[in-house]
Amino acid sequence: MNYKLTWVTIMFFIHFVKSSIGKKWIMACSGCFLLLFLCSHAAGNATLFNSVSLFQAYSDQLHGHPLIIAILSKILFSVFVIHIVTGVLLFFQNRSARSSGYKVQKRAVKNSLASRTMIYSGLFIMFFILAHTDAVSFGDHGTIGLTISSLFSSPGTIIFYIVSFLILAIHLSHGFWSMLQTFGINHPKYNPLIRNLTYAIPVFFLLLFSAIPLLFVI
Amino acid sequence: MTTTSISLSLEIWRQKDSRDKGDFETYTLINISTDMSFLEMLDVLNEQLTREGKDPVAFDHDCREGICGMCGVVINGIAHGPEPETTLCQLHMRHFNDGDTLVIEPFRSRAFPIRKDLVIDRSALDRIIQAGGYVSVNTGGTPDANAIPIPAPVAELAMDAASCIGCGACVASCPNGSAMLFTGAKISQLSLLPQGHPERHKRAMAMVTTMDKEGFGNCTNERECEAVCPKGISIRNIARMNREFVRASFLS
Amino acid sequence: MELNSNVPEGPLAEKWDTHRFASKLVNPANRRKYSVIVVGTGLAGASAAATLAEQGYEVQTFCIQDSPRRAHSISAQGGINAAKNYQNDGDSIQRLFYDTIKGGDFRSREANVYRLAQVSNAIIDQCVAQGVPFAREYGGTLANRSFGGAQVSRTFYARGQTGQQLLLGAYSTLSRQIHSGKVSMYPRKEMMELVLVDGKARGIITRDIITGELERYSADAVILATGGYGNAYFLSTNAMASNVTAIWRAHKKGAGFANPCFVQIHPTCIPVHGSFQSKLTLMSESLRNDGRVWVPKQPGDTRRAGSIPEDERDYYLESKYPSFGNLVPRDVASRNAKEQCDEGKGVGTTNLAVYLDFADAIKRDGETTILKKYGNLFQMYEKITDSNPLHEPMLIYPAVHYTMGGLWVDYNLMTTIPGLFAIGECNFSDHGANRLGASALMQGLADGYFIIGTSIAHYLGSGSLDPVNTDSREFTDSELQVQERIARLLRCCDGSPEGKVTVDEIHKELGLLLWDHCGMARNKEGLEKALAELPAIQEKFWNNVFIPGTGTELNQSLERAGRLADFLEFAEIMILDALERKESCGCHLREESQTEDHEALRDDAGYSHVSVWEYQGGQSAPTLHKEQLLFENVTPSQRSYK
Repeated sequence: MNYKLTWVTIMFFIHFVKSSIGKKWIMACSGCFLLLFLCSHAAGNATLFNSVSLFQAYSDQLHGHPLIIAILSKILFSVFVIHIVTGVLLFFQNRSARSSGYKVQKRAVKNSLASRTMIYSGLFIMFFILAHTDAVSFGDHGTIGLTISSLFSSPGTIIFYIVSFLILAIHLSHGFWSMLQTFGINHPKYNPLIRNLTYAIPVFFLLLFSAIPLLFVI
Repeated sequence: MTTTSISLSLEIWRQKDSRDKGDFETYTLINISTDMSFLEMLDVLNEQLTREGKDPVAFDHDCREGICGMCGVVINGIAHGPEPETTLCQLHMRHFNDGDTLVIEPFRSRAFPIRKDLVIDRSALDRIIQAGGYVSVNTGGTPDANAIPIPAPVAELAMDAASCIGCGACVASCPNGSAMLFTGAKISQLSLLPQGHPERHKRAMAMVTTMDKEGFGNCTNERECEAVCPKGISIRNIARMNREFVRASFLS
Repeated sequence: MELNSNVPEGPLAEKWDTHRFASKLVNPANRRKYSVIVVGTGLAGASAAATLAEQGYEVQTFCIQDSPRRAHSISAQGGINAAKNYQNDGDSIQRLFYDTIKGGDFRSREANVYRLAQVSNAIIDQCVAQGVPFAREYGGTLANRSFGGAQVSRTFYARGQTGQQLLLGAYSTLSRQIHSGKVSMYPRKEMMELVLVDGKARGIITRDIITGELERYSADAVILATGGYGNAYFLSTNAMASNVTAIWRAHKKGAGFANPCFVQIHPTCIPVHGSFQSKLTLMSESLRNDGRVWVPKQPGDTRRAGSIPEDERDYYLESKYPSFGNLVPRDVASRNAKEQCDEGKGVGTTNLAVYLDFADAIKRDGETTILKKYGNLFQMYEKITDSNPLHEPMLIYPAVHYTMGGLWVDYNLMTTIPGLFAIGECNFSDHGANRLGASALMQGLADGYFIIGTSIAHYLGSGSLDPVNTDSREFTDSELQVQERIARLLRCCDGSPEGKVTVDEIHKELGLLLWDHCGMARNKEGLEKALAELPAIQEKFWNNVFIPGTGTELNQSLERAGRLADFLEFAEIMILDALERKESCGCHLREESQTEDHEALRDDAGYSHVSVWEYQGGQSAPTLHKEQLLFENVTPSQRSYK
């Protein structure tokens, strides 16, 4: 094995990761992974629209492969950590790059709510995930159907979840477009499609996820 | 063309030199013709201050036709003021109303130290160009200008990127003080044109590294730069730079 | 003062080759032992600094702006000429040479102009190789347009920003040399004095604009590339900081000043709105292709343009010059506009404007066609004036644009001071009494990229230069002179500004004096009046100007005052030169010298020379020297556009 070459590769990677654009790529790549996870999570949860028992069956099936779960959950956890740590790091680095703020704080871009609040929406989502995993994932998977049913019997929880999904949608609306821009995907031919997707994707997840707690109200 | 006069209250950042802490001072101007440019309004203020024996407001300006990139301040929170695709010298007072209060601040960024009042040091942008914003060709011995055909649409895209005037408004307006629009525009111009291809990897690496070293922040895709750019340079150039940099990092 | 043009012998087309062969060289390994100062970073300065550094010299470069990229070359809109003949429409080096020398009304040196035409093609190759995004045809080849009345399409352009793109090209090559360490770049430093040692240019004194500190820099040769002096008129299309200081300091140290009265006045600028106006904006001349120039027949007519019926309008260019109409050359259009306004027929709020009306063109071709041609110009006009040329006629007025005069230089571009070179607009060399459109960029880059290298090698290779020390008496004395000057400027600034004047007030006064008497049309009486009134303005300036602040800080009033002080001195030779040249030629009309039809009349027998002024100290009048112009390859002809 050529250690020297390996070392050069590692140094290259470190150099890339340390650069501004490298960090953007980390955010975008991890964000992309999380988005894919969200898709699979949404697909699994969609079984609830059929019945709680189907959902339970899906869960049993999933947890019938402990090795896969163990590996995937570790990877997922690491990606979450990378996304969050890099995001927070960037937030502080960027704040210090602006020596001091302006007396009049104003944005030239209209509808900049999502982009302005990425760090806050992101942190909120982190708390939501902690609460959610605490309540659902670490419980007994054999009775997850029941856990869910009882969880959504409280209106407070339902509101908390729906608010979280709303914030997730806001986070996604900037995150999705931002990810593509970081990957260098910005072309007048495809920009209208991308623009539509930046609305469609968050709204899709918002509707789908919000409908689940509402299932238990009806 | 209807000329009217307006009165303004100006809150201007005054700072004696780089070490001074600096603060706002308020001035009142009456009878400002709406045909004046913003800089001419500042000229009038400075004449008034001079006559009062006070120190005039230092501000950078030169060509006064929107191309040299020397002028630029933040007016009420927006770099180069409220009109889109307009430099400060091309901004006319007819876009303001009688009785307006204008808060006038210098472009702020860690990489742009303030020298006096509204005068800043943008030499960090020069150093980004020095790192690689060129085609390494010596004078003489170049092939005939028509030797390499360049499709008109490509030349136009390169021209779009090349019209950057280096005023620094993108940095000033970015919440992160990022210079990616500036850097991306130059990298784009030279990566679009075949003349720039031999050095594209080296250029992207060198310019991005210098940009980071100079203390500019990172891009979080907030598009503020594009919105204030007096030349309407698109963030598509940043996307292009992202591609160039990754290509350079992994393929060179 | 000896004026040896050093033009090489031999046929015109071979002179440049002959000269290059005869010039001394410096061994590549030895070049690093020589240092060169370049003042100014416009097209000429940046290209010269980069090229010399590439060749191996140690270069120190200075500019007054915060970055070399801001020089005023950046504002040039139209394009750059070259004799490429890409359009196969009969262009050639000979034709570009002839057009340039004819355009200059036969007041420039044949050999210099021919060389300019010869190197023009290499400039385009160079710029394209640098990545300048010139306009292209769909097939990928370079596009050309016809510009400024030229009969061939030889102008290369990058939208309306050709100057910007060429400057950024030169700036990028300069940046590369700064990065390599061969060029030391000093931005925000203003040259205050030239230092001579043993009669040779060996250094400069600068003032740091941020700290006010005076600094000394030495070198083996000094190149000035500091642009034109159009701001003597206060209002011009020049950038605010453009000034005469560097070349005027050089002149006072012994450099001859050539043809200071040759000033180009551009007919289509946006007129002055009020006394606050700081600058005039140029609109492309192409507007006159479709616009009709007129004023009301009745002086003092205050009706809106639309309410003045057709038969009460005076389309004065069309009636006076039936064959050329609105397309008469720049100087004729400018002069006539001023005449109309002087007769009280001017329009607009200040009555200093004429109409440029597109109504007929719109009726003929439709709005879409007109917008396609002039859309961006109309937009620019509307941005500045808030009036839409589709609905109301444009208001235009002439403005000072370019100065053909400058430091006298020989074929090597060296001034009368050994080791001091002048390139670009600040020398007088190539444009005679009038400059063709799209030729300024060509000259700046020709001088910087392709000519100065030969001259510098020849100068440095010709004789040994003694080492100099910036602690020497010559440097100390020069710095002292600068110090005294600044102290003198700040003399009146203690106490209250009561009863004193500001820098701009004096500058406006000087500008008006020159505009009225030393502008497009001149006469003996007016020039003598101006000469008589000038000392009073100078006196008022030196005794009464109030400059707030001190000399040891960023002080923009002081910067302006220093430049104005030089304009005030310089104005004298400008007026003297105009007075001495009793012929009409190029851009200006001498009223005593006109035909029966009131057209410019050149006097080749009496004035086929370059007027070179020598400074004789403040008290004595400057002396005039003449370099006779010999035309061996072209025959001077009189223009006619009736």
